[in-house]
Amino acid sequence: MASAIRQTLVMTRANLLSLPRRQAISLSMSLSIALVVMVLAGFLSMAKGFEQALRGAGSPTVTVILGGGTYQEVGSDLPPNVVRSILARRSDLGVRRDAASELIASRELVVPVDVRQPGESLGQTMALRGMDLAGLSLRDGVTLSAGRPFAKGSRELLVGDRLARDFPAFGVGDKIRLGAVDWTVSGHFSAGGSAFESELWADLDAVRAGFDRQGEVQTLRVRLDSPAAIATLRDALSDITETPLVITSEADLYAGQSGRTADLIRLFGWPLALLMAVGAGAGALNTMMSSVADRTAEIAIVRTLGFGRLAAFASTWIEAVLLSLAGAAIGVAASWALFNGWQASTVGANNTRMMFQLAVTGDVMMTAALLGLAIGAIGGALPAIVAIRRR
Amino acid sequence: MTDRHDPAPYIDLKGIRKGYRIGTETVSIFADLDLAIAGGAFVAIMGPSGSGKSTLLNMLAGIESPDAGQLMIGGNRLDRMGEASRTAWRAHNMGMVFQFYNLLPMLTAAENVELPLLLKPLSGKERRLRTEKVLDLVGLAGREKQYPTRMSGGQQQRVGIARAIVADPGLLLCDEPTGDLDRKSADDILAMLGFLNRELCKTIVMVTHDPQAARHANRVLHLDKGEFAEERSAA
Repeated sequence: MASAIRQTLVMTRANLLSLPRRQAISLSMSLSIALVVMVLAGFLSMAKGFEQALRGAGSPTVTVILGGGTYQEVGSDLPPNVVRSILARRSDLGVRRDAASELIASRELVVPVDVRQPGESLGQTMALRGMDLAGLSLRDGVTLSAGRPFAKGSRELLVGDRLARDFPAFGVGDKIRLGAVDWTVSGHFSAGGSAFESELWADLDAVRAGFDRQGEVQTLRVRLDSPAAIATLRDALSDITETPLVITSEADLYAGQSGRTADLIRLFGWPLALLMAVGAGAGALNTMMSSVADRTAEIAIVRTLGFGRLAAFASTWIEAVLLSLAGAAIGVAASWALFNGWQASTVGANNTRMMFQLAVTGDVMMTAALLGLAIGAIGGALPAIVAIRRR
Repeated sequence: MTDRHDPAPYIDLKGIRKGYRIGTETVSIFADLDLAIAGGAFVAIMGPSGSGKSTLLNMLAGIESPDAGQLMIGGNRLDRMGEASRTAWRAHNMGMVFQFYNLLPMLTAAENVELPLLLKPLSGKERRLRTEKVLDLVGLAGREKQYPTRMSGGQQQRVGIARAIVADPGLLLCDEPTGDLDRKSADDILAMLGFLNRELCKTIVMVTHDPQAARHANRVLHLDKGEFAEERSAA
């Protein structure tokens, strides 16, 4: 066995030292694998970034109550009497209360609004979220990064940092027309890059008045005493029959939304990457066949000296794997340099623009690199078998 | 064809039949070949192209098998061995010297010579010592780290001979070892093969077209159309 390893090592070394003779074709193999790795890493980082943006927004102790039996905020409707009934309850709901024993809750309403930058003919649809002042305290990890929060009853906007970065029209103190009325930007907020940063926040009553949605509430947000207390809340509200309620943690709500879209992104990404991988695999096969042809004399020499089939196979196969490893490394490095942190946007769950950053994480790099290695491992196997037959 | 001086030949071929299939036809190289070579002999095999010299050498090296007949070398029946066994046998019993040296150009002289030792259970130090010793024996001491591409043809062939003998095989097979060399270098190489035959008791079978080279052997066989047509002892 030690002899076989020594044979393989010396043959592999000889193969690698002879690579300059096959520089162009070996480089093309590595680069084609790098391209496949980049395509897959691009899609996976998009899916990962989207997931991170949405999952980062969800808190396990904040519960969202939706009406109408839907998990979509824009499709939800909580009738006023249901909202009043919930807020008026004095029994233990498993929900935090303020000093006056009132529920800490935020009635919320999301309105899609078209925002047009000066000089742009086409607007972009964004989510304007009307909320009670308590809504700000129900967002974990949200901090004011500029200005001040919106004032109760006034047409003021608190703008997510991502939106503020991309839209200069959202400077603090600027006025912007949403719907039929002008709004003033009172401040910017940061939410750690989560999906919240793609929203505009304003006072609930101001939003209702500005968009003729008087009395409308889509969701009610409350903070649980603990994540397990959601069962208590569901049990306590089970007597409400006017509308089928969906009571879910904010974390689960966003995880569900992110899962569907991220899966869709992957559904596009994987077939494309695999299709390209087949092409790159054919390239790898061709390259390694050329390598075996180029090394026919050397293989024959060492076989005549008594080197075994295993060494001929393994050294050729290892060369293929090392070339694909180089390609995978180039692809991963290029993906990280080009894609990581790239600002992207898509249509989110509320049919509004959601901004996120592509995330080339460790698992994204590992998955893409493994595909690259698989191309070399599979594409190099047949030429390695051919190598053992060379005499 | 028998060796008159040794009743128990080191190489013993009996009734060897060998042919190649080309398309639907089979071209016969050997129909019924006999050959016996004593241990420690230096035999030159001459003959025109297509006479079967290379096929014979390949069979003696265990690279090819006869279609029928007995091929025995040093008491081992090569005709009964599978490819893996013949490869292992080759690694321990035979060294080969080629016309065009067949060195790996990306390895140094010492690394080329060391190749057969990688097949043996030797430490790195033992391999290095044996490599240095044979390079010294062929007159290349101090050139261990030189690459073949920076050497003359004669020097490359010396490396080739060092590689062939470094594992101390009993049999040396030489395929036109001087075919690519000038007269002076060729004579040096042939003198070295003679030395290895006389002093180290290596059995040498050398295929050559060169009558002057054949004169260095102590036995010359002429192969024609798959048969030994003539035999004479060298002076």
